[in-house]
Amino acid sequence: MATTIPLPTVAGFRRQRWLARFVRRYPMGVAGGVVIIVMAVTAALATWLAPSDPLRTDFLAMFVPPGANHLLGTDAFGRDVLSRVIFGARTALLVGFSASFGGATVGAIIGVISAYFGGTMDLIIQRLADILISFPIIILALVIVAILGSGAFNLIVAIALSFVPRIELVVRASALGIRRTAYVEAARAIGAGHWRIIFRHMVPNVVAPYLVMLTSFLGQAILLEASLSFLGLGVTEPTPAWGLMLSGAAVDFVQRAPWMAIFPGLAITFTVLAFNVLGDSLRDALDPRLRT
Amino acid sequence: MTRYVVKRFLLLIPTLLVVAILIFVLIRIVPGDVVELRLVSGGMFVTKGVVEAERARLGLDKPIWNQFADWMLGLVRLDFGTSMWTGAPISHEIAIRLELSLQLAIMSTLIAVALALPLGTIAALRRGTWIDFVVQFFSVAGLATPSFWLGILLILFLLTYFHWLPPLTFTPLWQDPKANLVQLIWPALAVGYRYSAVTTRMTRSALLEVLREDYVRTAWSKGLAERTIVRRHALRNAMLPVVTVIGLEFAFLIGGLVVTEQVFNLNGIGKLFVDAISRRDYTLIQGLMLFVAAGYLLVNFVIDLLYARLDPRISYG
Repeated sequence: MATTIPLPTVAGFRRQRWLARFVRRYPMGVAGGVVIIVMAVTAALATWLAPSDPLRTDFLAMFVPPGANHLLGTDAFGRDVLSRVIFGARTALLVGFSASFGGATVGAIIGVISAYFGGTMDLIIQRLADILISFPIIILALVIVAILGSGAFNLIVAIALSFVPRIELVVRASALGIRRTAYVEAARAIGAGHWRIIFRHMVPNVVAPYLVMLTSFLGQAILLEASLSFLGLGVTEPTPAWGLMLSGAAVDFVQRAPWMAIFPGLAITFTVLAFNVLGDSLRDALDPRLRT
Repeated sequence: MTRYVVKRFLLLIPTLLVVAILIFVLIRIVPGDVVELRLVSGGMFVTKGVVEAERARLGLDKPIWNQFADWMLGLVRLDFGTSMWTGAPISHEIAIRLELSLQLAIMSTLIAVALALPLGTIAALRRGTWIDFVVQFFSVAGLATPSFWLGILLILFLLTYFHWLPPLTFTPLWQDPKANLVQLIWPALAVGYRYSAVTTRMTRSALLEVLREDYVRTAWSKGLAERTIVRRHALRNAMLPVVTVIGLEFAFLIGGLVVTEQVFNLNGIGKLFVDAISRRDYTLIQGLMLFVAAGYLLVNFVIDLLYARLDPRISYG
């Protein structure tokens, strides 16, 4: 993933050198990146890696504790927990990546356009964004789910939309500075149109805040997906999803079968942790001003 | 000062009005009809007559401007309307749950602050050591751990070692303080740990910045004890951003309560929200959103006033 990062700052410094320096200076971030790559490979190869079908129920083997047959035990329907955790990575990464990319991209474009044109439209968009960020993300996502209905696709849309105002404000702030630069002036002077200036000259220069926000969204999106699925408003049974695995029987039978609750939760925590650590390192490396 | 406070407070009204308009529009963006969507999503078989009757009952047969005017006129009289599901007034639904959620929010915040201030301070003072590393890891892990999972683990722990399950019914604080605290401490811990993370990091970075200031160096060169320097010179000046974060986190606590109340079976505002969402009780959702927004604005208002107290350089003359 790190190799595709466009160079944000000084011209002429080379990709390999940047990567080598990143590896040397941010070992934790690299560790996070490695975990994510391992997760992504696991999710992609889930069909081959999972010991059994995550949907196959076996009522003769319910609540089997972790052991040789089922490494992480089985759930209330006798489904293999390890297989469900592995397939759950697919759901988490799919929802996480598409919601984050979608939300961050739409929000960033609105931010640049708002900064570029300014005026009344800018004012209205800013007021709206200000109001929308006064709601916790999960509340926003829940309300959008209520409006759209549940299901995996609507869940992605809901999470993406709740990210939009957050990145919009940050990108707009960066874009405001770029609007006044000499090269945008120059582009206008040689007769470039609005859209050419926006997409060829301004968008590439807000890539740093975009990437920083994007990585911070990835962890949040996975956490949101887990929370909403846990509440029964996201991914629905029998799809293997970590949040869903933690609801219902996992809580009711927590003492009898603690492995049902422990492992999916660990999967969520590790994944979000990996994304957050990588995100923090990327932020420090790309745009230290965004440090919180 | 008084003038500023009054002006700032009155400015909350137009902001809330915009919030109300936004929520109103948002709910009505729904393709199709709210009533139809709600009844059909319940999986019920409904006749046209039922839908029409429900529409009339909710006033949805009136023109949209009329509906908005009705809602606004109600809001002026602090009437949030009635729930589509239970038929009870929304202000009542919120009021009966407010005590629990507010107490939980305050306890969570206290736990978060009690964790964050010492941890953030020690991490900043011992920057780059293993202590700093452990604290940072602890706070990053807090952000990554879903609070509902932490809640489940806490229940597992309590069941295994104490054979004790948090009771299903809520005991108010004034009725039996001990039973009340014993019941709420666990969900507060689950929420508080997560919310301590951001405050810990903010305390650490704010303190690091202040420790580089000239007046701190002066304090050192005067030969003051580390305790005094940290308490009187550094921490006091680092508090401004920390207080902001604590306040905003408090305003956002409803987000944490939404999932945690579910785990601990607490009938609070968070659970009401989730129920409203899953029942597609649009009037209740509207009311709750407005309530959450009002809470956020109010907290922001209080933070602004606190600034002037904490930093004498800031005055709202």
